[in-house]
Amino acid sequence: MKFIDYMKGWFRDFWKGFGGELRTIFSDGGVMIIFTVAGLGYPILYNYIYLNGTLDETPIAVVDDADCFESREYIRQLDATREVDIAFRCENMAQAQELMAERKVNGIVLFPSDFGEKMLRHETATLSIYADMSSFLYYKNLLMSTNMVMLDKAHSAVSVQAVPYEENIPYNRTFAYNIFLLSAIFLLVIQQVMFYGMCMVEGTKVEENRLHENRGGLRIFWARSVAYWLIFMGLGLYIACIVPAMFGLPQRGAFGDIFSLLALFVTDCVFFCMFWSTFFRRRESVFVLYLFMSPVCIFLTGFSWPASAIPGIWKVVSYFIPTTFGCRAFINMNTAGAALSSNVHLMWLLLLQTAVYMVASGYRSLRR
Amino acid sequence: MEKLIAVIKRELGIWSRRPIYMAGSVGVMACCCIFYLSFLEEGVPSDLPIGIVDNDNSSMSRNFIQQLDATQLGRVVMYNDFAEAREDMQRGDITSVCVIPHGMYADVQAQRQPTFTFYVNTLYFLGGSLSYKDILTLVNLTSGAVTRQVMRMKGMGDAEIMGKLRPVDVDVHMIGNPTMNYGAYLANTLLPVMLEMIVIILTIYCLGTELKYGTSRELLALTGGDFHAAIGGKLLLLTGLYTLIAWTLMFLLYGIMHFPLACSIGWMLLDSFLMVIASEAVALVILSCIPVLRFALSVGALFSVLALSLTGFTLPLEAMPGPIQGIAELLPMRHYYLMAVRCGMFDGGFALCYKEILHMIVYLFAPLPVIWRLKDAYIKLDYIKK
Repeated sequence: MKFIDYMKGWFRDFWKGFGGELRTIFSDGGVMIIFTVAGLGYPILYNYIYLNGTLDETPIAVVDDADCFESREYIRQLDATREVDIAFRCENMAQAQELMAERKVNGIVLFPSDFGEKMLRHETATLSIYADMSSFLYYKNLLMSTNMVMLDKAHSAVSVQAVPYEENIPYNRTFAYNIFLLSAIFLLVIQQVMFYGMCMVEGTKVEENRLHENRGGLRIFWARSVAYWLIFMGLGLYIACIVPAMFGLPQRGAFGDIFSLLALFVTDCVFFCMFWSTFFRRRESVFVLYLFMSPVCIFLTGFSWPASAIPGIWKVVSYFIPTTFGCRAFINMNTAGAALSSNVHLMWLLLLQTAVYMVASGYRSLRR
Repeated sequence: MEKLIAVIKRELGIWSRRPIYMAGSVGVMACCCIFYLSFLEEGVPSDLPIGIVDNDNSSMSRNFIQQLDATQLGRVVMYNDFAEAREDMQRGDITSVCVIPHGMYADVQAQRQPTFTFYVNTLYFLGGSLSYKDILTLVNLTSGAVTRQVMRMKGMGDAEIMGKLRPVDVDVHMIGNPTMNYGAYLANTLLPVMLEMIVIILTIYCLGTELKYGTSRELLALTGGDFHAAIGGKLLLLTGLYTLIAWTLMFLLYGIMHFPLACSIGWMLLDSFLMVIASEAVALVILSCIPVLRFALSVGALFSVLALSLTGFTLPLEAMPGPIQGIAELLPMRHYYLMAVRCGMFDGGFALCYKEILHMIVYLFAPLPVIWRLKDAYIKLDYIKK
């Protein structure tokens, strides 16, 4: 009988804490702006920003001092590539340089006067390319297109290639920006939106002397966690499953696998945010002090900068952030189509992180 | 003038009592500089893990593996079978997999053209692209070496062989970043983006707290009800602080880190100063339109993080949809970046970057139509608490 009464009391308090937290969240305009605009709107906006995915037809200028059949053929072949577009043919380098400084072109190809002569004599002819490095994609486009035409010439000069090769780029054939970037930042959006929102809510509670709402033992702690968990599972399913489908991004993972990852990741984020939010005493501090964390988290996940090249100290820091493991697991499972079983190590790390943050946030919540 | 000094004195008093101002500006910028400059210190990533499945086990395949391992970009990880290697690539543990076919050496000797296969995971973008480049170079070199042997045996001279193997050589010049230093490429724009975020957020915070804590009337009393002197004093002090941070950043990037710069540093100082005041104007517009600190900060945060993508230093702006290109023009960072490219890379001087200078000056007029809303809020103090 005593046990039943205890359980009744437990659930009553739990329900009260759960409802109270939801009311606090939904009645806070600042938090709702972040949850709706950043949580619901930004995934769509970012998909739209990176809709095209690749940079095609980079305008370049050609200076053809050789003016021969070989150089003209090379130029035609260059123009035919997806990467570059011959926008200007210049008389001399000075003209081309001017165009590049005015940003009318992002690269220059110079054929020296002996280009055709050397090719006819079967010597190595040299052509020069000048790439605008303000974005490395300009450089990549210019280099790839000139190299592809160059390799084509090399292969046709040697009738039989000793070791032909077959290249396979299975998950992102065209090196598209949207496929690599968006699948990684989806989970980052979940974590950051929750972090800013929760820190604002907790800061406000301290400011308005409403910390007593968080008191009441572990049952209130669980109630608050579940409130956030439910909101962000909804948001997470929208971000990780619906938005990619809307924009035709790859969804190669099994739904069950993605759902399991999402459930674990959101749980981890809830305790991560609950722990760190206890350090905020004012609602605005989180923006003033931690807005810069989003790009830092992107770098720490290791999908843009190779994980093997991350300095040791930052590798250690990255182990304290849920996206480090969550984003990698999501990229592997959702975009590369890996099975859950081959990402078990990441799931274990997420679970370990969840356990650590759960204990830490529970302790901090009870102590306050 | 006295009014301004009075406001500045009051402001300095607040700053000394509340560490958030210094932590949110100098502290955050210092953290960002330490992070990005130490994180990207290497410049170009090296020793990327490349998986090898050697089905041949001949002197030729071993030679290929050793050479790949010896490149600056690659580090070889050996696998016994393809399934194992594929799984590791799918997990992102290795960037790519090369499969050396059975009997490659024997086939090459017999001129049977064995096919070399490789797989690259470009979801880990930089690692994938760099190892793709590395593998492609080495495969062509290997193939070329074999062909050269055959041609030599046929009695051809080396010059003629090279003309056949490599009819065209591409001489690459990288303007503005001759060593392809990713550190310079990313930090040069990312750190000013961080500064822009700091300026927008801290300006909104500094002006908005007067509303939140109901101290705006006290501030106005200090200036005898002169709203513009009150705001001016605050902004003057903030501008001084931001400019100091911006100029320190410029000296750090171009003076201490020696990142490539074609023009005199004076242009970059001007560029960063203009970006600072333009961002302050943006903050003033946001707070005037929404004179409630909690909402204005959320909107300011959402707006300023857009600069990370819309500056166009990673995926260029011209690859984005038209409306997005229009929105990007609203960001001070976009104009900072364009001016930095025109001056810092091409030494274009005033002739090439006057448009960007004008753009950033136009921002200063943006708050004029809406600033009365902030004035109203400062006087009436009808601040929404919820």
